[in-house]
Amino acid sequence: MDFSPLNEALVSKSYDKIAEILDELMLQAATDGVPYQDEWPYSIHLLGHIIANDINSARFLWKSIPGGVKESRPEVAAVWRIGQQLWLRDYAAVHEAVRGFDWSAELRDLVVAFSELYTKRIFLLLLSAYSTISIGDTARFLGMTEEDATNYTQRQGWIVDPASGMLTVTKQPVVKEQKLDSSKLQRLTEYVFHLEH
Amino acid sequence: MESAESLIAHIQGLSSAPEDLAQLHNLLKQSEESLESLAPNLGPLLNQLDPSKHSLGFLYILEAYASATHGEQENNLVSTIAKFIDSCVTEQICLAPEKFVSVCRKLKDEAMQLQMPIRGVAPLRTAVRKLQPTSEHLTTLHPDFLVLCLLAKCYKAGFSVLEDDIVEVEQPRDFFLYCYYGGMICIGLKRFRKAMELLYYVITSPMSSMNAIAIESYKKYILVSLINNGQFSNLPKYTSSVFSRNQKNFCQYYNELATSYASGKISELQSCLEAYKDKFETDNNVGLVKQVVSSLYKRNIQRLTQMYLTLSLQDIANTVQLSSTKEAEMHVLQMIQDGEIFATINQKDGMVSFHEDPEQYKSCEMIEHIDSSIQRIMALSKKLTTMDEQVSSDPIYLAKLGRERQRFDLDDFDTVPQKFHM
Repeated sequence: MDFSPLNEALVSKSYDKIAEILDELMLQAATDGVPYQDEWPYSIHLLGHIIANDINSARFLWKSIPGGVKESRPEVAAVWRIGQQLWLRDYAAVHEAVRGFDWSAELRDLVVAFSELYTKRIFLLLLSAYSTISIGDTARFLGMTEEDATNYTQRQGWIVDPASGMLTVTKQPVVKEQKLDSSKLQRLTEYVFHLEH
Repeated sequence: MESAESLIAHIQGLSSAPEDLAQLHNLLKQSEESLESLAPNLGPLLNQLDPSKHSLGFLYILEAYASATHGEQENNLVSTIAKFIDSCVTEQICLAPEKFVSVCRKLKDEAMQLQMPIRGVAPLRTAVRKLQPTSEHLTTLHPDFLVLCLLAKCYKAGFSVLEDDIVEVEQPRDFFLYCYYGGMICIGLKRFRKAMELLYYVITSPMSSMNAIAIESYKKYILVSLINNGQFSNLPKYTSSVFSRNQKNFCQYYNELATSYASGKISELQSCLEAYKDKFETDNNVGLVKQVVSSLYKRNIQRLTQMYLTLSLQDIANTVQLSSTKEAEMHVLQMIQDGEIFATINQKDGMVSFHEDPEQYKSCEMIEHIDSSIQRIMALSKKLTTMDEQVSSDPIYLAKLGRERQRFDLDDFDTVPQKFHM
């Protein structure tokens, strides 16, 4: 098996491409009749789907893994535990699943990358969904200690109310690209002209 | 009749120029019987040919050989066919499409028999593309490919062919199966809108007698439209009368499920579910039914957003029949995450405020989106005009129209089947 596209993606940290690369390699290996299942990098493959936020594909991949592999390779099952919690939307348990395993050297960078990405994603969710939220819940959502969570959110401009143990969320205006290039406007004008005549 | 050796020589000699190919094709057709009788011994002959140059000849010999061979005897058969599909020349195999289909089906059957459906996924994907004159054509291999994807759990690979809009269909059965399996793939990937579209094609297709594919599609369609739209509206008028009359005999409990859903009461939905539990199980729809239940909670919360500006979590939990405020909070949070409602939760006061959609339709991204939608609609409209012209000048259609003019009224046809989505 030629895993060089995978290795390139890993070296260049293009983690979002991993799942697609491995999907194709797997189809190819299967077609050629190579007995790939025992040696397949399932944990990287699963994590690739998880990083790409494609939990459906991660779940189908997990279902297709032979029972023997699931049993003999605890790391594969540990990666799926992350996916499972994402599937169940148990926000806090995702962090626990990340911390609950001693990841091998080849997986460590990927897990850290996922964890950072996930924390960022959840922070943005809290930012959009809450006006006030308790410090305890924030810590659980972000997978941090209460102290770290307070510091992290304060850096983003959130305000602590020590009396009630609540954080007040400060929304930052989202800047969206609004500059139009003239060809787009031209085209829309043509449509309207066409409809009116 | 020719000897195998001279046939090989002919194949090698006549595989380049188009006029030679026609001659070769004739020769091959004449040799079909003798190839059949030699079938089990044809394996070594294949080694003398190059599938990327002598595709047509290779195909004839491979087909004869494959139909006489089983995987247990010849372990390389799957690989041989897969390599052929990969390297064959499209122009040559399209001279004998039925042979090509037969070889591909053999590959599919072998892969299934070996209990390794994944072995056939990549080859059949290539085969579909090679057999299609354009991406708008449905081939008879589409359903085979999708079945393999479902069995091998390669849903994403299957979805790659579903992204094309199909316009040209030869066999209704192929289309029915394509839409049904395609619908299942979309359901697995939770692309419910696309799933609805595909299943809708099946149940509203013209049909002269009831068929199992349409019945199963209809069951799934009801469930998916509850999940995605929160409602199920009746079949449109242009549904074939055979289907709309008879579906009740097969799908009554799904209609009842939709009715209990419309009541908005979780308890009523649950009791309907309980009553027909076994039937949903036999239909393999338990997973979907579960999603229907959780979608009712969402639907009820969504309804609240239309009535109130702010509401306490306690009130939400009570109205929607959730057991705690925490559960209500998690439901609201998930819906915000999925962009299904716009709201902010105030934990301090235990309140939720609902907002309008903040989209102002002036970002670049939105303009881009609107523009591409307009482009698509324009292309679609052009296609429709062409089809309309074709039909209205079709002699068979005109003759029929003359006879039945009195029976039909334009009002019998809905102009727009359902809400158009961009």
